[in-house]
Amino acid sequence: MSEPKRVIIVPCSGIGKSFGTVSRVAAYQVTEDDRPDRTQLIPLSLLVLGDEEALAALAENPAITIDGCQLACATKMVRESGGEVRKELAVLECFRRHRDLKPQGIGELNEGGQKLASVLAEEVDAAVDALNQEGPENA
Amino acid sequence: MTDYLETQVDKFTFKVPTDRYYNSFGVWAKAEGNHIRIGLSDYLQQSSGDIAFADVRPTGTILAVGDEASDIETIKVDISIPSPLAGKIVRVNPLMETEPETINQDPYGEGWLCEIEPLDWESDLKNLMDPDAYFAHMKQQAEEEVNKNE
Repeated sequence: MSEPKRVIIVPCSGIGKSFGTVSRVAAYQVTEDDRPDRTQLIPLSLLVLGDEEALAALAENPAITIDGCQLACATKMVRESGGEVRKELAVLECFRRHRDLKPQGIGELNEGGQKLASVLAEEVDAAVDALNQEGPENA
Repeated sequence: MTDYLETQVDKFTFKVPTDRYYNSFGVWAKAEGNHIRIGLSDYLQQSSGDIAFADVRPTGTILAVGDEASDIETIKVDISIPSPLAGKIVRVNPLMETEPETINQDPYGEGWLCEIEPLDWESDLKNLMDPDAYFAHMKQQAEEEVNKNE
């Protein structure tokens, strides 16, 4: 029986910006707490550097991207690296749906930012589950 | 076809169309028939960041010069947009409710905020900057911002 493919999670690398931090905190929650056996986090920097292991993982597995802003660097970089983006999520869009969760802070998010990251992580979890339900060939 | 003044500061390019007037905050005003359409300059939208919400004051609101015409919430800041003229808001861009990011994508076109029936446009115009004056003002602001971050 073939082993289910992992889902690659690629968050924004916006260092020094609250929305970038939200994307990374959400990615950590998914890959370390919520779905550690079915996901793998690849930092954007490894793709920019052309890291062979990261590129190989991306070539063999579907990806979910979490962009911080409209530049959509994570999504663009995954595509430029030959990866298949199966779901694009954006912190800005999530914030628009949860206006009360205004993220502030960079190194340490405020309560709103932490809650927003958690809500976003749940959206990523759902996307991972949906890919897994499509079967091992797809996820 | 609209002509633009254009400058590059650091890695950013800023455009200023020559067919409208500006206040020092970076709000443009352009006559559209009997009304004046207002919006954010390219520099103001770029320096403010991705726009999450644009709460434009509702139709019928009476504004004095400098009154808040809209509140803009971006990923970086919350900003109050001062009206460049006195008058009554007669039309609000419906895209501000559903797609406020249009301000970032097309600040001088589809991303306008609202239209105002002016009280005394000729008088207010005297206190606004023409494109050349705003271009110089904006360029100085942008260069100061870059120097501050170096």
